Amino acid sequence: MNKRRGNKRRGRAIAVTGLGAITPLGSGRQEVWQGFLSGRSGIGPVESFDTSAYNVHVGAEVKGFDPQPYFRRLESSAVGRASQLAVAAARQALDDADLEDADFEKDGLDPFRCGVAMGTTSGEPLEVEHFNDLRAVAGLAEYGGELMTRYPSHVIAAHIAAELGFAGPNTMIPAACAAGNYAMGHAFEVLSSGRADLMLAGGADAFSRITYTGFARLGAIAPDVCRPFDRQRQGMIPGEGAAVLVLEPLDRARARGAHIYALITGYGLSCDAHHMTAAHPEGSGAVRAMEEALRSSGRRADEVSYVSAHGTGTPTNDRLESRAVARVFGERSSVVPMSSVKSMIGHTMGAASAIEGLVCAMAVADDRIPPTINFQEPDPECAVDCVANQARSLDVQVAMSNAYAFGGNNASVIFEKPSAH
Amino acid sequence: MKRRVVITGVGALSVLGDDPSSIHRSLCEGRHGRRPLLGFELPSRTVSEAGQIAFEARRYLPQGNLRPLDRTGQLVTSAAQLALDDSGWDAERRREHPVGLTLGTMFGSVRTIAAFDQRALEAGPQYVKPFDFANSVINAAAGQTAIWHHLWGLNSTLTGGPTAGAQAMAYAADLISIGRASSVLAGGGDELCFESLFSADQAGLLAPGRGEGARPFDRQRSGMSLSEGAALLMLEEASGVAARGGRAYGEILGHATAFDPSRGTDRELGIEVLTRTLKQALEEAAIDPGEVTAISASALGSPRVDACEAQALDRVFGAELPPVSAVKGGLGESLGASAALQAVVILESWRQGRMPGVVGLEEHDDTLPLPRLSAEPFAVKVPGPVLLVAVGLDGNVGAMVLAPAT
Repeated sequence: MNKRRGNKRRGRAIAVTGLGAITPLGSGRQEVWQGFLSGRSGIGPVESFDTSAYNVHVGAEVKGFDPQPYFRRLESSAVGRASQLAVAAARQALDDADLEDADFEKDGLDPFRCGVAMGTTSGEPLEVEHFNDLRAVAGLAEYGGELMTRYPSHVIAAHIAAELGFAGPNTMIPAACAAGNYAMGHAFEVLSSGRADLMLAGGADAFSRITYTGFARLGAIAPDVCRPFDRQRQGMIPGEGAAVLVLEPLDRARARGAHIYALITGYGLSCDAHHMTAAHPEGSGAVRAMEEALRSSGRRADEVSYVSAHGTGTPTNDRLESRAVARVFGERSSVVPMSSVKSMIGHTMGAASAIEGLVCAMAVADDRIPPTINFQEPDPECAVDCVANQARSLDVQVAMSNAYAFGGNNASVIFEKPSAH
Repeated sequence: MKRRVVITGVGALSVLGDDPSSIHRSLCEGRHGRRPLLGFELPSRTVSEAGQIAFEARRYLPQGNLRPLDRTGQLVTSAAQLALDDSGWDAERRREHPVGLTLGTMFGSVRTIAAFDQRALEAGPQYVKPFDFANSVINAAAGQTAIWHHLWGLNSTLTGGPTAGAQAMAYAADLISIGRASSVLAGGGDELCFESLFSADQAGLLAPGRGEGARPFDRQRSGMSLSEGAALLMLEEASGVAARGGRAYGEILGHATAFDPSRGTDRELGIEVLTRTLKQALEEAAIDPGEVTAISASALGSPRVDACEAQALDRVFGAELPPVSAVKGGLGESLGASAALQAVVILESWRQGRMPGVVGLEEHDDTLPLPRLSAEPFAVKVPGPVLLVAVGLDGNVGAMVLAPAT
């Protein structure tokens, strides 16, 4: 067929010019990326609430997080934890893009053309917990109504925009565990259609007893470590965090001399319409999302250098995901490197695919790919190269980030080297 | 080349009924849908009425197991049934072609989430119901609706507060116009529950007093009436509709969304953001303010938010301001459902030849630059472009231009 690589053949490409993340492994692009490459684990005993009534006790919490330095306009204590994590990641990302103070005039930006698209699974669930704790103990007479003012999930994107003075499109997409990819896909459209000049896109979730209880009840939480694609894998590990990517139209990014980590060149969304909490047995929705992402970026499966897996570590997810990847990649599915950073930071819910977006952008920029740690025994039902335990150097021309969620929401995003356009 | 996006069906569940013509008639008669609270009361007892629907999902979904769906899920799934029926998307066609769903909701179901957590607290974490956990994600209603009706196209939930429905319609319209989707149910829904109503009351957002409802743009306005509802519009790519012999009620000509980063604390900035948004939607629709035949205002009865909207409308239209309709004095603020319900009323107004006025308006507010507001319905002699406005409580704004199908 033809030599597609390097061809400046098609229009749509959005530049990734800044990366920020608060994760159980560390804070900021460099620390997080180095943490992933070194194969460290951010998983440990849950500290934010008492797990003695549960039969599992590990989680991936962000420890020692101080939101204060990231808040200049808003009061950090006036917003929920997911918003705090999100604002911090947004500030880091802007800083990383050399747009630190969002000095609109200096940067040639119009605040009305700067927007935010964020994803989440649970929004600000700690507000529900607070409400229930009050209801059970002190009573609600003095309750301030925060379920109306601080809880609804759109406040996460709103708090970022309020903190930064962004007046452009402001969208919150709670597509559960695929939400970060949904947010990036939406930001891609907003920028491609000329509705904005700069978008912050990502995801955020706070560690919550509600989420933990739910996954524990489903028997989905691993007792000790998360080992995606391993034959002995026992489940996922709930986590928290936030990641934000600065996205700009390629020509604008080049015009301002921005450092471009990677391009987003396409994405795909699909819905299983099958089951709320279980993936389709044939992975058909996942297949459609990957295929649409490839089609929209003008790439073929055999051009993909690296796949960032959803890879939760549950027996079912990893099996079905491997099957879906096999349907898209054919014989190459067992050799295309496909790792899951959830082995290191657990499943950070709405933040997960945003953090994995950072991983893909850095893999493209750095030509290195992070490992799947804790891998010991191959599973014949997961015939993939999961980049076991050690990071690897690789010429990453095209990276695909996959995410799947409750509600049957699937989303894939394609990242490429800037030289491709 | 962008593709045209038309509306081929609607489904609406509201406190004023479940079909567009009766909703429209009630609004034209100035009726409201508030009723004494059923199932719970508020500790303060200052608010004893709200917009609850006497809702039986079985009426709309005669077959199938309703147990996995919570109230929000049932409302949205029911509205989807009505919209699918109205647009002629039967089960066979849905098997052949992907239908997407983009749903705006403010809460998903905060009642489900709170109840799930409460049960874990009281009985222990091992006694929660897996069903409830599945519904505790905010995209649950969209997922449940997709499963129920086998909607295997794209599926997204957006939560822009009370503008979520407008955001969801805009999101769907864009994906259709660029060719990523051809048929998408778009709109929104939220249930009314103790947690949301109580919190709105404690936050001082509700119009107080027994029997008092929201009075949009009124001099005495003092807060909103919280309601529930669900409304979905079937949005389709225009040429496909003609090809299948379908009919369109209207067309989405353009839209815009934005955010007031001061979240209402900087009056001037709030007005400027909304003004720009309205202008941007008109620009995208390629029509001048003078061509707009009516406004469907967002006004919900809030002193601050309504004033901001009035000022922005004045800046865009000045002396050319067309007649203004505002339905939340009747329908209440139904959050995710609000903007889609406004759209349903606009479409019905074209059919009926009249549009509801500012429902609930009693006393003119001289401080607002809208001199000719009236509670009475106004005639729609020749259906033409209508500007739909959506303004949230904490910064989100949206606008959309709808026009009759040509």
